[in-house]
Amino acid sequence: MGRQVAIVSAGFSEHSSKRSDVNMPELVNEAIINCLKKVPSLGLKDIDAFVTGNMPAFEGANMPELWSTDWMGARNKPLMRVTTGGTTGGSVAIAGYYHVTAGLPGIDTVLAIAYEQQSQGDTSVGLASTAYGEISILNTLGIDYDSLSRILSAGAAIGVAAYQATNYMSKARITEEDLARVVVHNRRNAAKNWWAHLKMPDLTIEEVLDTPYVQYPLRYGMLCPASDGACAMLFTTEEKAKDMCDIPVYVNGVASVANESAVLGYDGSGSAQTDPSAQIGAMRSSELAYSQAGISFPRKEIDYAEVYAPFPNQELMWLEKLGLFEETTAPEMYKNGTTALDGDLPVNCSGGVNSTNAIGASAMERPAVAALQIMGKADNQVPKTVHTSIGHGWGGSLNLCTLMVMSDEQKRKWR
Amino acid sequence: MSKLTQRKSLDYIKKEYVRTRTMPGSWYLSSYKFKFNIAHHQPMLEKLKEKKLIANQCSGCNRVFFPPRLVCGQCLVKPDRWVDIRDTARVATYAIAYLKNAETGEVEEKPMVLVQHDGADTCSIAELAPGVNVKDTYIGMPIKAHWSETATGGLMDIEYYDPIEDDAKDVK
Ligand SMILES: [Zn+2]
Repeated sequence: MGRQVAIVSAGFSEHSSKRSDVNMPELVNEAIINCLKKVPSLGLKDIDAFVTGNMPAFEGANMPELWSTDWMGARNKPLMRVTTGGTTGGSVAIAGYYHVTAGLPGIDTVLAIAYEQQSQGDTSVGLASTAYGEISILNTLGIDYDSLSRILSAGAAIGVAAYQATNYMSKARITEEDLARVVVHNRRNAAKNWWAHLKMPDLTIEEVLDTPYVQYPLRYGMLCPASDGACAMLFTTEEKAKDMCDIPVYVNGVASVANESAVLGYDGSGSAQTDPSAQIGAMRSSELAYSQAGISFPRKEIDYAEVYAPFPNQELMWLEKLGLFEETTAPEMYKNGTTALDGDLPVNCSGGVNSTNAIGASAMERPAVAALQIMGKADNQVPKTVHTSIGHGWGGSLNLCTLMVMSDEQKRKWR
Repeated sequence: MSKLTQRKSLDYIKKEYVRTRTMPGSWYLSSYKFKFNIAHHQPMLEKLKEKKLIANQCSGCNRVFFPPRLVCGQCLVKPDRWVDIRDTARVATYAIAYLKNAETGEVEEKPMVLVQHDGADTCSIAELAPGVNVKDTYIGMPIKAHWSETATGGLMDIEYYDPIEDDAKDVK
């Protein structure tokens, strides 16, 4: 029997390809100041515990939580680091939720912080190191290193995304134009969001299709950037939240589900997920989180969605796998404006991961934006009233999905 | 079009930051040793010398793993049954990597194909025959293993996969 948890605030640092004016702790501090500024009644002494996370190998700084302690205000307080690859931010947010819902004595208000300063290190080395163990066993089985290195060539994530794109495109019978439409949707939204990275207010589909392939069927103009940035979220109990802000956002369901990784599989044995766009993990995580939140008809009950989509085909895929659209109908929804800012189900109005990707922070920015949309404080606020929203994350060994379902009223069935 | 002009054509609103001090550094890491069990691969590698393919099957869910797997993640059971699988397969998924050749400096198209053997439930990395244009491939395309002349007992004994005639009725 957990306690009801509420989100009272969320903050961001400015995102850019090279934040050359700050170092890592300073970047983290920027997001925290932005987050706490929105809750004037809260002092540093009122925060009881901290959860933090990034991918240390991407920046080349081991144990960054120790370096940043004083910049987070976490000195002499419980501090925990969570690192789960692309879902780091989502896992940090869920850990923050667990801290509060557990009901430990003296731990009511928890600050969750996720960040990444990719310009400091080499992300492709960090990604390769996570896949190397699996790759080297295939090498011992007799597959030459040349064909294995292709998987690592453009970074492990895009290799998998390209497979997902081929499968999804052949399943939904769409063209690259449909992918480019998603990119334009994201980048134009990003232009209205002060902290986003790739702000392109005048981008057109033709401009995206004019760029060369990086990995067929994905073009240079469709890829996510590598950003520096941080995000912070404040979790607290139901009772305290009411004193801190006008519209507390209640967390009604969380889930973090992994499935067998596509492409490489386990132990060099290939993957039993022969369709990389099947994403059973995402389907399971949505089932779990929706049942906790008491949502039976996601398409009707959810008003806003933030999904973790570095590549446009993934945005279409996740929206279907999370139960928001019927299979293969998502491209049509981008055509008819359902997912636009003033549409029926706005999606990724912050610009999404496609426009801003500070890896460790990305999966937390999704629930953070989704929560701010409910409060009515988001930077690219949707005109309609948002009652229920979701924030999704993807990563781990390319198979882990995190999901957070938020609402402006408490709805937990099992309470 | 060069990459620089690309970046320009996709220009975005950019802010200049005042630089803080930067110190170069690097991680000098020791070499790592990754451990993996290969005992369950031996029967398959032996059979490859006879140009035959076998895979192991989980007794819990009947899934067939090629290459063999040590444990079935769905049932937490060690697959112990050995089954024959065919050397015909289907393209499960594909993509093309665009890589710069280190010597000539030209960008080359390198196909990355995953195939699923008939009779197996997993897909694995493979090469298509040199003459095949990977953009003509499609998901579900039937292919057949082309064996090297002397089999040595390794996955490289299948040099590449040849396309074969598609007798499926539902192909456009
Ligand atoms: Zn099994």
